[in-house]
Amino acid sequence: MTEPVLSRNFTVADAWKMDVAENHGAYETAKKVLTTMQPDDVTNQVVAANLRGLGGAGFPTGKKWQFLPKESQKPIYLVINADEGEPGTFKDRYILERDPHQLIEGIIIATFAIRSKKSYVYIRGEYVESARRVQAALDEAYKKGYLGKGVFGSKHDLDIVVHRGAGAYICGEETALLNSLEGGKGYPRLKPPFPAIVGLFGCPTIINNVETIACVPHILKNGPEWFAALGSAGNGGTHLFGVSGHVNKPGVYELPMGTPLREMIEKHAGGVRGGKKLKAVIPGGISAKILTADEIDVKMDYDSLRAAGTMLGSAGVMVMDETTCMVKMLYYATKFFSHESCGQCSPCREGTGWAHKIVTRIYHGEGSLPDLDVLLKIARNMEGRTICVFADAAAWPIQSYIGKFRPEFEEYIRTKGQGIHRDYKEYDPRVGAPKQIGAH
Amino acid sequence: MIIEASGHPAALAKLDAQAQAILAKYDKKRAAMLTLLHLGQDTVGWVSPDVEAWAAKWTETPVVHVHAVVTFYSMYHQKPAGRHHVRFCTTTSCVLNGGEKLLGHVKKKLGIENGQTTPDGKVSLEEAECLCNCENAPMMQVDDAYHGDLDESKIDKILDGLQ
Repeated sequence: MTEPVLSRNFTVADAWKMDVAENHGAYETAKKVLTTMQPDDVTNQVVAANLRGLGGAGFPTGKKWQFLPKESQKPIYLVINADEGEPGTFKDRYILERDPHQLIEGIIIATFAIRSKKSYVYIRGEYVESARRVQAALDEAYKKGYLGKGVFGSKHDLDIVVHRGAGAYICGEETALLNSLEGGKGYPRLKPPFPAIVGLFGCPTIINNVETIACVPHILKNGPEWFAALGSAGNGGTHLFGVSGHVNKPGVYELPMGTPLREMIEKHAGGVRGGKKLKAVIPGGISAKILTADEIDVKMDYDSLRAAGTMLGSAGVMVMDETTCMVKMLYYATKFFSHESCGQCSPCREGTGWAHKIVTRIYHGEGSLPDLDVLLKIARNMEGRTICVFADAAAWPIQSYIGKFRPEFEEYIRTKGQGIHRDYKEYDPRVGAPKQIGAH
Repeated sequence: MIIEASGHPAALAKLDAQAQAILAKYDKKRAAMLTLLHLGQDTVGWVSPDVEAWAAKWTETPVVHVHAVVTFYSMYHQKPAGRHHVRFCTTTSCVLNGGEKLLGHVKKKLGIENGQTTPDGKVSLEEAECLCNCENAPMMQVDDAYHGDLDESKIDKILDGLQ
């Protein structure tokens, strides 16, 4: 790839300040769009660009916008999902903290396209610094007259509000986010109705991820053909991939959609650390099924990873070397899901708790071989039986870790974890206080 | 600063102008809930029954609804937390980078377990789920700030520096 798109200002000092951002071209495209284009033409360009939601689901963005009712008596809302929480993902934080004006410019263009006058940016509660940066950028944009009444002298009015979450992974699910934003518990809603028809405060609402909206100015600036050509078939543009775990250079890498996973790990992230051999890779955040070292010639885009039996998800790549204990990794995965289940649906609330208890038993050297089949059965009974896909996401690590590394699990159980789990003797989790199950 | 529980209503009464400014940004009063709870907690150190009642008043919702919300989110302290709150990440990338052992170090150093506060009220500890700073794993959050690429000596320096 030649030119970075989304990350071009990440290394520019103080790019979150208005004067620096404007020196690098911020708001030029929004000005042009609002004064020379019609809203539907903007949407059509986003459709033609093959932009797909970069929060994890990969739904075509322009198509989502077209689901809005043609005539609405109610206000239309644009909600930005900045509730970044998928383990292994940290890309949106870079936009929020290093180039918030890119996001604000995207919001201006997107709200113009969908005829919305109000946007909420829902930022995860722990991202205090990110929220401060975005608020500072908004304050500067208001001061400049880029927000409020008659943006850039057009008839488009726009207010943007920064809203902080309070610690709940499930609020990244778009309908849970809406309930949370309305001042309630973050329980996902049944769909249909979809948010484009009945969303925030019962009004038509579009919910888009931070990175998705940050792509919009670039599409309008350089044209949909240019954007579509950056990626692979049906997957337009570049993507910010987060690579972490056992690599020499963990970080955010902007690469074209469809970049091979092997190239990402070996070339861009500097390869596996300490000359060790690769054991496994999670390609798209903790919810994505794990890939073995033999499976990394897959292309990193929505369709290729789905064909490989996993998913691109939020593009959080987590790399594990040969020393990694899969029982330990499953212990921490089930701990995550049992802690973060919202508790609304029984199969998920109970299933994540049961799974974590059994994996804990195995991890402590007290498991038995039939436990593995019980775990797989629990996972099967969680899949597809709940309001949202959290339960599916909780089932996939169980199925894929045990499915692909079963001999290791069996060996661990037989030897009670002796000689395999490296940190075990130094820190015994059993000494800890009782683990809390469910949201607390 | 921790304000004694008996002083919460007086401390919260001083926030009325801020509460009104917050409500003005939202289309519905109830939507200001999380923001008001953050403000209340930042002021008195935890979400006490007084903070819940105060948020209920401004959002025009029953206190029982506010309490349900408070119990749902991990960032709201339902009992007084330490003057400094440590969230130590215990998810995949941090565990891959030795986070489990370092958490043991933090517990030993502070002499407390998950969910507890040091006897002098200085530091409380929470085992956190992914804080999305995986490129700097292992990491922890102390109050608002993220600290990454941790090792024992870095942890000691950060914790010893807390007032």
